[in-house]
Amino acid sequence: MDLAPEKIQLIPIFILMVIGCFGLLTSKSILRSLFALDVIDTATISIFVLIAASNGTQTPIISENLYSNYADPYPQAIILTAIVIGFATQALLCAIALRLGRVSPMLRYRDLEK
Amino acid sequence: MNEAIILGFLIFLPATLGFIGCVFPKITFPLSITMLAGYALSSLYALNHDINYAFTLIGEGGIQFSIDRYSFPLIFGSSLTLLIVFGLFSKRFSHYYYQVCLVLLTALLVSFSTVDLISLFIALELLGFTAFLLIADKNDKRALFLSFQYLIGGGLAMLIYLIGVIQAFTFTGTFLIADLGNAPETALCLIIAGLLTKAGVFICGLWVPNVYSHANCQSAAVLSGCVTCAAIAPIERMSVTLAPIGETLSVLGVLSAVIAAIYAVFERDSGRALGWSSVSQLGIAILSPTYGCLYAMQHGICKTLLFSTLHNDIDEAQITKSDGASNKIRNHEETTREIVRVLTFIMASLSIMGFPLLAGFATKAWIKNDLADEAKIIFTTSALLTSTVYARLIFDRVNTLRTNYDLPNYFASLKLSNELKMSISASRSLILIFSIIMLVITSLSQIDLFTSYSIRSAILSAFLGGILFTSVVGIQADQWVKPVTRTLDLVGAPFLVAALLLANLLYFKI
Repeated sequence: MDLAPEKIQLIPIFILMVIGCFGLLTSKSILRSLFALDVIDTATISIFVLIAASNGTQTPIISENLYSNYADPYPQAIILTAIVIGFATQALLCAIALRLGRVSPMLRYRDLEK
Repeated sequence: MNEAIILGFLIFLPATLGFIGCVFPKITFPLSITMLAGYALSSLYALNHDINYAFTLIGEGGIQFSIDRYSFPLIFGSSLTLLIVFGLFSKRFSHYYYQVCLVLLTALLVSFSTVDLISLFIALELLGFTAFLLIADKNDKRALFLSFQYLIGGGLAMLIYLIGVIQAFTFTGTFLIADLGNAPETALCLIIAGLLTKAGVFICGLWVPNVYSHANCQSAAVLSGCVTCAAIAPIERMSVTLAPIGETLSVLGVLSAVIAAIYAVFERDSGRALGWSSVSQLGIAILSPTYGCLYAMQHGICKTLLFSTLHNDIDEAQITKSDGASNKIRNHEETTREIVRVLTFIMASLSIMGFPLLAGFATKAWIKNDLADEAKIIFTTSALLTSTVYARLIFDRVNTLRTNYDLPNYFASLKLSNELKMSISASRSLILIFSIIMLVITSLSQIDLFTSYSIRSAILSAFLGGILFTSVVGIQADQWVKPVTRTLDLVGAPFLVAALLLANLLYFKI
């Protein structure tokens, strides 16, 4: 198995994702799950950004002076949507956590899953 | 070009109506009912005449849609589901309920008709949000927590899906479903695991029974009728174009069909049993790419009827205004209505069992002819288990009817024909009766399926189901079958399924 530079770049993101998944699977309260989900979200976004930048790092907007190494605009446009959706999910989950917090202020799964 | 504009407008019309409905709720409600009826009729017409549309929004390199034989049955099914729910429960809708349903319909239409993975992602996320609102509509602690579980599980599944999508993109360079053939196995597994969670097939679909049993009955009807169908269309599209995925999916479908049906047999609570049976039926639907959408449509409509008639509905308004003189008449009216509801429940159950002369018979016969020979025996097993489940449900429902209402008195004094007519012609009973008639007519339109062999096997399986029910009813299974409520199980399931799929694709090759 050969390690190309692109793959080496992906290793920290992979570690980040493992941390997020581990946190999500071992969390004991709602807030920790929220943070873990955010970590996984960030890892996904970074993968998209890295892959968009694999051809070049120049902003893909045509201006007076042309460059040769533009980034791929397609994944970038898509990850913008995904960032917004992830933010909306977090906001909804926080709202639910707020409502549940009135019933059980510690927000522990043990209390809520009865 | 013109066609693209009109169809694109039609896809986004429900959401527009929904947002307008937030401002003018009274005016928009009849409009939206007209629109739903129009969608149902036109998709039925297109289904019978084999019409296909394919168009691209915003010119070259834009967003591609394809409305074809995968989309039309599901569009028909979901608009009919919403029509039934709007008709039956419009008095019990809370604030902004039907507007949310309309936005849900747009998400469904996009996910049925899109052919690229990113539009599908956005549609499924929108679907997740609206389904979350429907679950949380009951507004107590448990419903809120269930909706939290649904949202966090769905969000994680969609992130897994996105990672699969970007990996496929690095190999193929596009986001089209048709180009997934060059993608590596890991990408396919991640994408499929995300979709299966939304579809609620076994292991990923552990949220289904919890949510269905606790949500409001109108929410449960909408969820079972359309939300779980959303991921069926893309899964069918994929399994047609990608042979290895199709074979792996049949393994998962078989597992789901049998295990979930066994769970449903041993479940004591009716709502949870219906949820498990829903998981098992969708497992059958992903077995066959050709007829899966039709099967999901039939199952969705029947499930909607089942959930809307599962509990006897008590109108608070009627109870408060009842006084001594009208009490007897009201009782009569209510009993008639209740009998109509129980009849609908029985007919819908029989339809899911695949009893002859009902719509489920036709779809079951199609799927059975389409399956590979190895899968047939499993299909029969699951059909038998399903019959057992529904035998028990029918038994329970009739039993509650008998204990709660004074039936012998009612039948003795049935001669008051005027009152009977009046109570039957109440709008809710009319909707239910009409849907029963439609179920019968649908199966009669496929008259060539009625071979003596298939009729015999269908009746036999129903009878065997009844017998099995009486033999199983004494077993106390509460120790083995515990409801899965832990968040960890619900969240971890997509990982497990992705790993299983990958192992199957790379090593087992079942």
